[in-house]
Amino acid sequence: MISCADFMAEIGNYLEGDVAEEVRLQLESHLSHCAICQVVVDSSRKTIQIVTDSGSFDLPQPVLEPIAQQIMAKIRKEGS
Amino acid sequence: MGDLGKPVEDGGLPAFSVFRENYGFVPRVFRAQAVLPRLLNAEAALANAILFRKTDLSRTEKELVALAEAAAAADPYGTALHYQTLRLLGMPAERLDSLLGNPDSEELPANLDTSLVRAWTAFVGTLAVGLNVRPDFPAPKVNRGALGAPPSCNLYRPKLDGSDDAAEFAFFREEFGIVPNLFRAQASWPEALQAEAQLISAVLIPEDVLSRLEKEKLILEVSGAANNEYAVALLSSLLEKRGVTAEECDQIAAGEGPAIDWGGFSEPQKVEATATAALAKFFVQLQIALGVEPDFEVRLISRASPQKNPNLLAEQSRPTAQDLVVDPDIQIVDAVRNGDVDAFEGLIDRHSRRVYRTLVGILGDPEEARDAMQDTFLKTFQHLGDFQGRSKVSTWIVSIATNTGIQRLRDRKPVESLDEAGDAQESFRPRQIRAWTDDPEQAYSKTERQRLVESSVMRLPAKYRVVLILRDIEQLSTEEAAAALGLAVPTLKSRLLRGRLMLRDALAPHFIARSSEVSH
Repeated sequence: MISCADFMAEIGNYLEGDVAEEVRLQLESHLSHCAICQVVVDSSRKTIQIVTDSGSFDLPQPVLEPIAQQIMAKIRKEGS
Repeated sequence: MGDLGKPVEDGGLPAFSVFRENYGFVPRVFRAQAVLPRLLNAEAALANAILFRKTDLSRTEKELVALAEAAAAADPYGTALHYQTLRLLGMPAERLDSLLGNPDSEELPANLDTSLVRAWTAFVGTLAVGLNVRPDFPAPKVNRGALGAPPSCNLYRPKLDGSDDAAEFAFFREEFGIVPNLFRAQASWPEALQAEAQLISAVLIPEDVLSRLEKEKLILEVSGAANNEYAVALLSSLLEKRGVTAEECDQIAAGEGPAIDWGGFSEPQKVEATATAALAKFFVQLQIALGVEPDFEVRLISRASPQKNPNLLAEQSRPTAQDLVVDPDIQIVDAVRNGDVDAFEGLIDRHSRRVYRTLVGILGDPEEARDAMQDTFLKTFQHLGDFQGRSKVSTWIVSIATNTGIQRLRDRKPVESLDEAGDAQESFRPRQIRAWTDDPEQAYSKTERQRLVESSVMRLPAKYRVVLILRDIEQLSTEEAAAALGLAVPTLKSRLLRGRLMLRDALAPHFIARSSEVSH
C-alpha cells in the first residue's frame, strides 16, 4: 500500500501518463481511497487544461509586425 | 555463422577472429582501429559479454534490440550492420522492414540485457561517426516519418545490489574511489562488469597516445554535450581529484573548454580519441537505460553558446524522435544561406511567438522580452552559417532565445538564477486541497482566464515559469524543452511539476467548488 508521500513522488509522471502499468495500478489504488490526492490530481489536470487553452502571452500580429520589420531592416543592413 | 562479406586482410589480430566468428567478417568500424590492438581486444571482449553470447536473450533477440536502437538513433552504420546480421540469422526481410517502419511492432523487454545492448549500439555508432567509416552494407530503408520515440527503458529499474567490497567491484573502487551506482546496478552480471573494466583499462589508462587527463576531459565534454548529469558529476569528481578546478570542469562540460585540435591528430590519436568518446557514449546510454541516481551532487550543465560545438564527437548527442522528421525550416535556412536574406522573415513569422514566450518566461517582463526577441533573431541570422542540423531549427532558435534571456538576467541586479543548484533541496507541498468545480473553464470568459493565467504565471520564479510556458503553453515536448533550455530531462520534469503545482495553488481560489472541503 503506498502513502500520500509515495503518490506525490510519482504524481509528475502520472500526470504525464509516463508510469509503468504496475505503478499506475498502485497509484490508482491509492487514489481510489484518498480524497486529498484525488483533489490534487483533478485540480492539477484542470490547471494544465486551463493554461494550455488560455493562449497566454500571445504576440498579436499588429504588435509583431513592426518588430519583425525592425529586425529585417537590421538584417538587410547587415547583409548588404 | 556464414560469410557476410568478402574475405579481408586483417593482419591476424586475435580480436578480428572474434568478430569474424560472430559476424562472418570483420566490420569496417573495427578494422579502422587496427593501429591500436589493445582497444580492439577490449571491444571484442565487451561484444562477447553483451551481444554475442546467449544470456536470457538469444543473439537474435539482442540483434533486434540493437537494430531498433540504431534505427531510432538515426545511425546508418549500426542499422545496416544489425539488419544484415539478422537477415543472416534467418529473420525475414518483411519482419525487419516492419520493425524499421514501426518500432512498436516488436515487444522488446527492458532489462539489464537490453540496456547493455543499447549501450553497445551507441558505442559502435559513435565509433563509426568518429572514424568516418561507411556502412558495411547498403543501409536499409527506414521509414523515418513513422519512427516513434526510441524504445523506452523506463520500466526497468535495477536494484543496487552487492557489497562495495565485492571482488567484481575492485577495479571500479580503485579507479573511482567509490563503487559508482552505474556499476553497482550491474552486480548480477559479473561478465559485463569485467568487460567494462577491461574497456576502461584499455582506453583510459595507457598514456602512450593521449594522456589520461586529456581523455577524461573528453569524456566530461561528451557527457556534457549529451546533457548527462550522472556522468558529468562522476567525471567532475574524478577530475577534481586530479587537480582540475570545479570551474574548469563546468566549462568543459558546457563545451567551453579548450578546443580539441582533431585536424592535428595522428592516426592513433584519432582512433583513441574516438574510442574515448565512444566509451563516454556507452556509459551515458547505459545510465539513461538503467536510470541510476548520481553518486555525487549534480552539477549544472550550462551550454552558454548553442552554436559552439568544439569537436565532431561531442556533437553526437542522440537525436530525439523529432529530429528524425523532416524539418520544415531547413528550406528557409538554405535559402538565406544562399543569399535570399528576405527569406529570413519566414523564420521570424514562424517562431516569433515561441521566442517571445521563452523570453517572457525567463525575463518576466513583456517589454524586455520584445526587445530581447530582436537580439535573438539577429544572433540567429549571424550564426545561421554555424547551424549544422543536429537539432530542429526551432529548437536551435529557442536555445538562442534562452541564452539571450539568461544573459540579460545575469546583467540584472539582483540576479534571478535559472541554475540547477538548490533544485534538489527545494520541496513543494500543495497547500490547496479543496475540490475544484467540475467545469472551471465555464467560470470565466476566455479573456479573464488568459489574464488570470498570465498574472499567476508571472508570479512564479523564473526557472519554473519558463519551463511551464514552453511545455504547457508553447506545447514543446519534454525533450525539446530540455534541449532548448540546456537542462537534463529529469530536471525539466521536476521543474515542470513544481511549476504546475505552484500554479494550481495560485489558481485554486478562483476555481474551488462551493461547499467542497476535504479533510486531512
